[in-house]
Amino acid sequence: MRLETKKEGGVFIIRSLESRMDAKVAVDFRAEIARHIDDGNKHIVFNVGGINFIDSSGLGAIVSCLKHVGREGELVIAEADETVLSMFKLTRMDRVFRIYETEREAIQAMST
Amino acid sequence: MYTHRGYPDFSKGRLHSRYDFISITLAEVWMNTKAVMPQSPPPTRHAGAIIRHLKYSLGASPKKALPQSLYQATALAVRNHLIDKMMETEDRYTQRKAKRVYYLSLEFLMGRSLGNNLHNLGLFDAFSETLTDMGADLEELREQEHDAALGNGGLGRLAACFLDSMATLGLPGYGYGINYEFGLFKQEIDNGYQKEKPDNWLVDGTPWLIHHPEAACIIPVYGHIQHAEDRDGHYNPMWMDWKTLIGVPHDMPIAGYGGKTVNTLRLYAARSSDDFDMDIFNTGDYLKAVEQKMTSETVSKVLYPSDAMESGRELRLIQEYFFVACAIRDIVARYKRSHTNFDAFADQVAIQLNDTHPALAVAELMRLLVDEHALEWDQAWQTTCATFAYTNHTLLPEALEKWPVSLMEHVLPRHMQIIFEINHRFLADVQSRWPGDTQRPATMSIIEEGHPKQVRMAHLAIVGSHSVNGVAALHSELVKKDLLPDFFALYPDRFSNKTNGVTPRRWLLKANPGLAKLIDSQLKRPWVTDITNLTDLVPLSRNPDFQKTFKAIKQANKKRLSKIIWDTTRIVVSPDSLFTIHAKRIHEYKRQLLCLLHIIHQYLALVEDGIPPKIPRTYIFAGKAAPGYDAAKRIIKLINSVGDTINNDPRVGNHIKVVFIPDYRVSLAEKIIPAADLSVQISTAGKEASGTGNMKFALNGALTIGTLDGANIEIMEEVGQENIFIFGLTAEEVHEINVSRTYRPWEIAENTPTIRRLLDAIGSGRFSPDDPSRFIPVCETLLSEYDPYLHLADLRGYIAAQEKAEACYADPVRWTEKAILNVAHMGKFSSDRTIREYAEEIWHAAPCL
Repeated sequence: MRLETKKEGGVFIIRSLESRMDAKVAVDFRAEIARHIDDGNKHIVFNVGGINFIDSSGLGAIVSCLKHVGREGELVIAEADETVLSMFKLTRMDRVFRIYETEREAIQAMST
Repeated sequence: MYTHRGYPDFSKGRLHSRYDFISITLAEVWMNTKAVMPQSPPPTRHAGAIIRHLKYSLGASPKKALPQSLYQATALAVRNHLIDKMMETEDRYTQRKAKRVYYLSLEFLMGRSLGNNLHNLGLFDAFSETLTDMGADLEELREQEHDAALGNGGLGRLAACFLDSMATLGLPGYGYGINYEFGLFKQEIDNGYQKEKPDNWLVDGTPWLIHHPEAACIIPVYGHIQHAEDRDGHYNPMWMDWKTLIGVPHDMPIAGYGGKTVNTLRLYAARSSDDFDMDIFNTGDYLKAVEQKMTSETVSKVLYPSDAMESGRELRLIQEYFFVACAIRDIVARYKRSHTNFDAFADQVAIQLNDTHPALAVAELMRLLVDEHALEWDQAWQTTCATFAYTNHTLLPEALEKWPVSLMEHVLPRHMQIIFEINHRFLADVQSRWPGDTQRPATMSIIEEGHPKQVRMAHLAIVGSHSVNGVAALHSELVKKDLLPDFFALYPDRFSNKTNGVTPRRWLLKANPGLAKLIDSQLKRPWVTDITNLTDLVPLSRNPDFQKTFKAIKQANKKRLSKIIWDTTRIVVSPDSLFTIHAKRIHEYKRQLLCLLHIIHQYLALVEDGIPPKIPRTYIFAGKAAPGYDAAKRIIKLINSVGDTINNDPRVGNHIKVVFIPDYRVSLAEKIIPAADLSVQISTAGKEASGTGNMKFALNGALTIGTLDGANIEIMEEVGQENIFIFGLTAEEVHEINVSRTYRPWEIAENTPTIRRLLDAIGSGRFSPDDPSRFIPVCETLLSEYDPYLHLADLRGYIAAQEKAEACYADPVRWTEKAILNVAHMGKFSSDRTIREYAEEIWHAAPCL
């Protein structure tokens, strides 16, 4: 899965360069994020703005990353479009993840 | 050249030229009457539209257009009118903030649309003239249309009639269902046996469905529940690992009579989430990519050909869930376009569940409100119950849907959780209403304990609705008294009756144009939208001139049917004989067998006792048997075998004919029903919920021979006991016999030589000389004390009623008077009346004109 990453302060930002997040990319995504977490990046903003389709495999991969982050870290979602947001609501993942309209808002919230 | 019994040789020249006498008779009637139709635009405009569609929509040359292309082009021209009106209608509803009514049904038996749409838009005559000027014939083009057979029988046809009535009344009513690629199978008769062929009704495409890929929705299915916590540490079940189905809507415009309102029937087709997955293709696994697509699309591939429950069939469960999930998502989205919260949802939305097939909608709306829109459970439940209403259609235990809990958990894990929660709270109510009662919680529970555990869909529908209705007075009483007495005790205010009805637009105006024109010519008050005005025919019932014309129309309809019988069965029947018609699905409870026993009785009386019927008789059967229903398929074989014997016995001559017309469907019913003299409605009392065929036949001037079952009782009340031939056990007597176990059919046979004789004839192979034992199972059923349909108990009464009918038919003046009075008193049985009752008493919705 093609991802763009950067760090702002203590916050690690991941942006997907794929428009679909499904079974084909979920395994790679999970492995790559696990590597970043293992490198010590435990406060993560996942900017899903470029994604216009996500299926249960994609959602499962995100949940798996959250578990990997553990209680001492946090993984939040930013810039979900209507379709992606509806999938979070369908699975009730919106009650587990903090979801922000913009990446900036997410970074600020994590920085405070 | 092949000829049959001296009938004209149809192999030369055009068949219909031999039937000139039919069209002449109808033409004479029409010439003497005046059409009352809404004003329509001049024909030239329609010709332009048809030609444009021929060229630019179909790429066909107007000079060389085949009938199918011309039909398509004509339909597309009509569709333009429909779309304009449909958009106007939707705007009107939105501007007026009208309450919407949604009719969820797994079946919509629409039949053909061209003629109906033309009538309802007031364009019939204009298009007919236009096509004549173009050298074509509208009637011939209408024959090009494939029936939309998206239903099995009464339940699906009722849904179609309701859509017509909602549009005619100006009610904001939407139908939701499945766009089956294959409708109900086509029936062929091979050596007397039913053979099923796929009904590829979309093979030529259909102009009536408007495809809306842009409105496709994602439907999750399968997966598992991950028991997690939310950010605040509360239990948060997450539905993970589901597969994706895509629901693509196809809209069929539904024109109300007069053309002011055009509503929508939205049918969903299932599509794969990846139409063509290039990644999988590029890795070389092309077949895997296509297989997944095919599996997803199977969901809307075929209509299940049975009205009984299909429990255990995973695909059927997914079908039921798929269409309600699509529908609820669409309904909520429409509501959300003008509302920010759900406080007014039940004031703006009414959803009717046509039987239990859409009952999962209760759980789906709850899931949507609680999971996706974060409503508290209590508010969501209050909203859900205030929104839904449920129609019960059957008292037959085998037709009450139940689904194994294990299957439901596998296919719909989150819904199963929600159903458990609904049941938990419901049982708490039951316990507080009847403290200490251990029996009621078990019998009323949504979950039936046992092996396997099952979800009772009717209980889910009742608990999740504010209204439960039966479909005829007797049926509604039996629902309260026998089927669901505990629920009636708990929720007495929820139960009501809404006697079914039929649309007079399709079943009189369109199906019987001769009679419609005659009525037009005599009635000062409009009847097409208010058939209670048909009572104005009462004073004419003895008028000799009126009787003569009325009879001529019936005769013309019988001649038309005679030709269809010849074309499809190569059997010659006389239009002068008494046409006795038993047309409906083949099912033991509908008792085609009882009808057949009387025919055999009459045959044996003729050939063995030398007693012919008082008048020539033609017995006409039509109907399909569910492919897996062996007893019903055996009945079809027996009908054809008895027919072969009787029709080919030279001693019988023209006294008796027996025919089975294959492939009963809406368009065929429109030709059969207007030709009936005697309508056979002889189900075992207490088994037929309502019936609507009984209403269609009577509306077209047939007299009914029937039991006191379903809506027959109300027909009798309307037309008067003297104008209907009623016989047989009442529902109460049937119940009594079943409880006391006093049915002794062999004693009836032993004590009645004529009955013993006809059973011997069946059992000894008289109608199956090639295999004398073939119909022994029929005799065994008839002589079994466990025959739940009590055939022999009603046989003597039925034979007597037939004799009475025969004697009456021998007096044409008396018969015709009764037939006219039947038409005149059908006012109650318009689906407009039924829908008005639903709207006022259940939906609390008003017309928006």
